[in-house]
Amino acid sequence: MTQPKIAVDLILSKLAEDAEKTRERVQKAPDVLLEPLETEIATTPYDVVYEEDRVKLKHYKPTTEIQLKRPLLMVYALINRETMLDLQPGRSVVQNFLQEGIDFYMIDWGYPTRKDRYLTIDDHVNGYMDNIVDFILERHDLDKINLMGICMGGTFSVIYSALHPEKIKNLVTTVTPTNFDTDQGLLHIWMKDLDADRIVDTFGNIPGDIMNLGFLLLNPARLMIDKYVGFLENIDNKTFVENFIRMEKWIFDSPDVPGETFRQFIRDCYQKNLLIQSKMEVGGKRVDLKKITMPLLNYYGKYDHLVPPEACELLTSKVGSKDTEDVCLDTGHIGIYVSSKCQKVFAPKIARFLKDREEEKKKRKTKESSAKKPVAKKTKTRTVSTSKLKKNE
Amino acid sequence: MSEKQQKTTGPQPLLSDWIKTATAIWGPIVSMWTDIGEATGEILTSKKEGKKSRVQKSFETTQKTWEALSSVMIEPETMETLFKGSGALPEILLKMAQMNLDNFVRFQQQWVEKAGKIGKTTHAYKFEDLDEDVFKAWTELYENEFRKFFNIPQLGLTRSYQEKVIRTVDQFNIFQATMAEFMHLLFQPVEKSFHVMQEKLTDLADEGNLPEDSKAYYQMWVKILEGHYMTLLQSLEYTQSMNKTLASLTEFSAAKKETLQDALLFLLPVPTQKEMDELYKEIYVLKKRIRKLEKGK
Repeated sequence: MTQPKIAVDLILSKLAEDAEKTRERVQKAPDVLLEPLETEIATTPYDVVYEEDRVKLKHYKPTTEIQLKRPLLMVYALINRETMLDLQPGRSVVQNFLQEGIDFYMIDWGYPTRKDRYLTIDDHVNGYMDNIVDFILERHDLDKINLMGICMGGTFSVIYSALHPEKIKNLVTTVTPTNFDTDQGLLHIWMKDLDADRIVDTFGNIPGDIMNLGFLLLNPARLMIDKYVGFLENIDNKTFVENFIRMEKWIFDSPDVPGETFRQFIRDCYQKNLLIQSKMEVGGKRVDLKKITMPLLNYYGKYDHLVPPEACELLTSKVGSKDTEDVCLDTGHIGIYVSSKCQKVFAPKIARFLKDREEEKKKRKTKESSAKKPVAKKTKTRTVSTSKLKKNE
Repeated sequence: MSEKQQKTTGPQPLLSDWIKTATAIWGPIVSMWTDIGEATGEILTSKKEGKKSRVQKSFETTQKTWEALSSVMIEPETMETLFKGSGALPEILLKMAQMNLDNFVRFQQQWVEKAGKIGKTTHAYKFEDLDEDVFKAWTELYENEFRKFFNIPQLGLTRSYQEKVIRTVDQFNIFQATMAEFMHLLFQPVEKSFHVMQEKLTDLADEGNLPEDSKAYYQMWVKILEGHYMTLLQSLEYTQSMNKTLASLTEFSAAKKETLQDALLFLLPVPTQKEMDELYKEIYVLKKRIRKLEKGK
């Protein structure tokens, strides 16, 4: 007797098995969903030390002895919220920085309202950011601080560092778009023909929900179907459900984007690609990347579909600094901050970069005083994958 | 028949007699109503002030007008003119009816012409693929043919309000049409993925490699779907449709806002968004100047 081509019996028995598992899951699901769930995000304690309009400056309470003289200021994007860096205890970039002994500040851009529609990139960079940097400098009696930016916040940080290099000791950019002339990411393709003027003139601010819909449409199969199938498959797992809801809370917490900022970002960056060419103007001044002379650490994700590597990696070759480093992790746009694999690498690597630069200065000072000759230090640009970093760390 | 006989037997004396009789009947009736009015006290209130009531005045005026007209009408000369003129009446009526009929026929012809054009337009959008192109065809049909009716000039005092409402309805129709086209485009990968999945399953069945795990089928389908989406989302067709939908959404939002603001909200004692935006702009400029001055110190 020959074997049948279709193993109907096996398929049916597997189906029966799946049906049984589903029944068990459905039975357990109410126990999970009806019980109190821990889904709070951004629970690491902080003080609001500065406020201006809707913008707040969070200062996180140190959990260990401060090991760096200069604090680190984190600038998040205007899209979504900075709470992503502190999703839950044990999976928090903020906590990792605090454990590394870094004095950590973070800008909370708040929720722009209709009255914020006229705020430009200049108002954010030369206004709020500059005022915050001045506040920290005065608070710590320093001349420079360390600056770190995420995504659009990274672009703002690049602009700030070019316009105010005297106030920045080290610059860290993460998933930061600076070269917009690429067809690798769908956003870059779509934004090319977007009529930003029409949208801004009609809506004033750009509604967060419309932008979120756009992000979902970047991969509808995964983000609108598969993600929720995954949720249903784990609906009886309390930890999974809690983490899933935390992520949902963050991802759909989308403030509107001030209209004029959006208009300039789309026109000057996505459509004209002025920033990487050092041709962009902010507040009447040209943003010359050659003025970025401080050490630069540039992080990005190999599988980032929002800001692909092509949009990030050109920066280090365009700045004036000779001490630059590119780090490409085997992950996506958000994975850099939330995946457990990257959590082990991300903050420690940045902390090491900052500490090395502070120690180098001390050593150089000692050498200078003994030899009475200035020593120029050049760091090679290198690209490191997660696996390589693991070995190095 | 003598002229005198004609005058006595023709329609003129009949009409003359009818007018006289009508005056004789209606005159006392009007006087009676006036008396009833006085009796019910309605008029008394006015009489106290030495004035006639509006009803009484109206009755008297009507009666006087009728008496005056009827006295003129019963004159033989007037009767003769009236009957001569009545001979021309059917001709005038016929002309009016003909004109109305012509206008109606012309209007019908225009509609038929429009319908003919609609047929031509649809032909241009390949109606043999009606299933696939129906939304695109409808959008273009609407834009090219039906939309014209919204452009008919509005008249009168409320013209600007009517125009705003019409514009909103028009933009809503456009938005609905482009949205339907966009949604149809978005659904295409799902449809295609099912077709590919069916083919793949047939191949796997032929090869005897059908997976036993039901989850494997789902994973296979999601992967196919993702691939189709990636192809679609990078296409020019998708970008154009998305931009068109966004443009129609913004146009509709703007029209809706204008109607609400300029035709409705201005009646209420609340500031409009336009007014608030002007204020926000002033505050923004002032704040910026103050900050600049503060930093310059």
